[in-house]
Amino acid sequence: MMSHNAASSHLLNLEHLLLEIPESAYALPSHAYSTSGALRRAHLNQMALESFLPWVRAEQDQPARLARQSATWPSIWEFVNGTALTVGAQRLVLVPSEAIDGDELRVAQEWVDLPNWVADYYVAVYVNPDEGYVQVQGYTTHRQLKERGTYDAGDRAYTLSTDDLIPDLNVLWVAQDLGLQTVPQATVAPLAPLPLEQAQALIERLGNPAVVFPRQAVPFPLWGALLAHDGWRKRLYEQRQGMVEQWSLAQWLRAGISGMAAEFGWAKPQLQLATGLGTRSAEVGVCRMLEIEGQAYTLKIGPSPESTGLETPVWRFELAPVDGTQQIPVGMKLRLLTEDLQTFDNNEDGAIAPVATLYVDVMAAPGEGIVWAVEPTPEAYEPEVLRF
Amino acid sequence: MQPRQRLVDIFSTFVQFEADDFKRWIVDARLKRSMGSCLETSDRGASDQFWALYWHKVWETQQHPLATAHITAYLQEVCYWVARKMSLNLTMRQSRADLFQTAIARIDTVLKRFNPQLSSNLKSYAEFAFGNIIKDTLRKNQEADICTDWALLNKASQKRVIDALTHGGLEARLIATYVLAWKCFKELYSGTEVRNTRKLVKPEPATWQAIAQLYTTERLSQLGPNSPAASPEIVEQWLVTTAKAIRAFLYPSPMSMDQPLAADDSASLGDRLPGAGEDSLLTELVIQEETEQRRTQMQQISDVLSGAIAQLDADTQYLLASYYSENLTQQQIAQALNIQQYTVSRRLSSTRKALLKQLAQWSQTTLHIPMTPDVLSSMSTIIDEWLSAHYRTTESSSG
Repeated sequence: MMSHNAASSHLLNLEHLLLEIPESAYALPSHAYSTSGALRRAHLNQMALESFLPWVRAEQDQPARLARQSATWPSIWEFVNGTALTVGAQRLVLVPSEAIDGDELRVAQEWVDLPNWVADYYVAVYVNPDEGYVQVQGYTTHRQLKERGTYDAGDRAYTLSTDDLIPDLNVLWVAQDLGLQTVPQATVAPLAPLPLEQAQALIERLGNPAVVFPRQAVPFPLWGALLAHDGWRKRLYEQRQGMVEQWSLAQWLRAGISGMAAEFGWAKPQLQLATGLGTRSAEVGVCRMLEIEGQAYTLKIGPSPESTGLETPVWRFELAPVDGTQQIPVGMKLRLLTEDLQTFDNNEDGAIAPVATLYVDVMAAPGEGIVWAVEPTPEAYEPEVLRF
Repeated sequence: MQPRQRLVDIFSTFVQFEADDFKRWIVDARLKRSMGSCLETSDRGASDQFWALYWHKVWETQQHPLATAHITAYLQEVCYWVARKMSLNLTMRQSRADLFQTAIARIDTVLKRFNPQLSSNLKSYAEFAFGNIIKDTLRKNQEADICTDWALLNKASQKRVIDALTHGGLEARLIATYVLAWKCFKELYSGTEVRNTRKLVKPEPATWQAIAQLYTTERLSQLGPNSPAASPEIVEQWLVTTAKAIRAFLYPSPMSMDQPLAADDSASLGDRLPGAGEDSLLTELVIQEETEQRRTQMQQISDVLSGAIAQLDADTQYLLASYYSENLTQQQIAQALNIQQYTVSRRLSSTRKALLKQLAQWSQTTLHIPMTPDVLSSMSTIIDEWLSAHYRTTESSSG
């Protein structure tokens, strides 16, 4: 929709890609954010994403999607600006901004220095909600940002003058089409993982929304490690919104799947109706669907049959193909990790021959957290800390 | 306006406006000396185009301020005619002199994007670039004009805020204070309006309270123990000042025409005058050869692009013609073609992509230029410049 007050639209330089913001993008974000600024940030990213992604899909002959599942983005936008996409084999980060002057591209350090967050290209997108359009100002590579960008310690961001961007986004696509060998990424140092106690202390402290700028409250190596742990970042986000624990298995069984977990695909298993024979097996537990190398699987968590009579409950994590006639392929593994991603004894089950299911039983003290993982990695996988 | 004839004048004189029109050429003595000495040491009857490329090379390799100044002088006529044409075409409150200033102030951007390896000549490129700069600046100024102060504060980059406060004369330590207050303001008061964001109203007292409190908390870690605390009234004052500074920076007062250069130590500059010595003669030789090569190359590129355009469908050719001859708005083009307004930009984008790919593939096989994203970017600029010139010529020849 075009505003009637389109006084300046005839001055638009159309050589920079101009896209209409679809009506749906104007809906206020459905998730909570702890500040007005964070909400605004989320909304700008939503507008940029909903304008840009459909265009890439239509115009560039490659699969394009969000780099992470949509449910996880609120926990990112609460803290940093930017939305990561994969287009074919490339990773792009859209960096939206309302700044009329368009003087600079400002990229949060997380997108440049965290190993799992770095992208190949960073695209500066000007968003004009009133006039109803977004406009690509230009783009740059990770290498350029790292080597030529200015690091702003006060903001924990890398900046580049807009004059130093490549103004035409077509250069990116044509370079790909021509098969130009480019190495857009500079090397990124691995980040030291955070010990559990330290993570818990940080979440306690930074989970308080009274800390308005949590990013600047602790040194980046600590902050980065916390944010990069997808389970901890979710917890940090949820706590800042005043949400109760969203990932408690006991709570799920008692009161139903939490709102946040449902968004990530968790649900109560379907009741099995035996045709005509009268018996129903009510499954106790929770489950979610996974897509692994093109096939559908269910991950179920429930009380283990081994746990009857024991004081401490034993939980069973079970992986099985959705199609009952299929089997777990050779090499697939179901693995459990501690909250801080450490292994422990008897934490995994792997298929050395095709088998119906994989399962791991685990006994855990109340309050302890567990992370499940599957090899090969499921589509859109990111660690979740499930709490006992 | 009398065009300048002598080489020494072309590279050392500047336009002086009076009553928004050309009054006369003013000489910069330093530049005259510099150019004079260059012309003495060179024993060839080189063209102004040659010297433009020469100074561009000096700018590129040495970032010498004299090189920028010489080129600024060289481009005075081009800038003047672009400013004049735009002030006739578009109704606005800026004077011709303002538009001229706006464009010429961005000379570094123009030079950055000019690629002598591929581009025809600096004047032609500058004509295209100045036009875009003026259009961009006008659009941005119009956007800012519609905004309330509170909206404008939310719609400014940190770079702009700092540049505006610096331009306004604030000292560095105070700027850091204002920037922190601004960050606190943005985080706590971005507004809830989704579509009417430009009309953001002043925050309520409770919000000012919260902003001041946040600033006072943050300043110790961000600015140091000696930084000032601030009441809501003071924070409001700072932000009003910041908004004012941003607006003032949009319409900078014209540079004094008598001092087109920054106040440099002319003695030390004199010692490092480029253009003297044997190195420069070699550079001159290289440039002379390249100019011939470039002329041929540009003709070939022009042929490739003409051929490519001729093969586009009628609607697309119409779209290109209407956009690049600057006669029609996106809305008007859309109406004429019976398509959605935003389809105009998308179609323009995909057409330019196809042209870029074609030109790149042709140059890989014919010119044997090693293809890199930077070269592609230069080609993209050349295509836009060529389209702009092509449809201008077509329009004027058919008019």
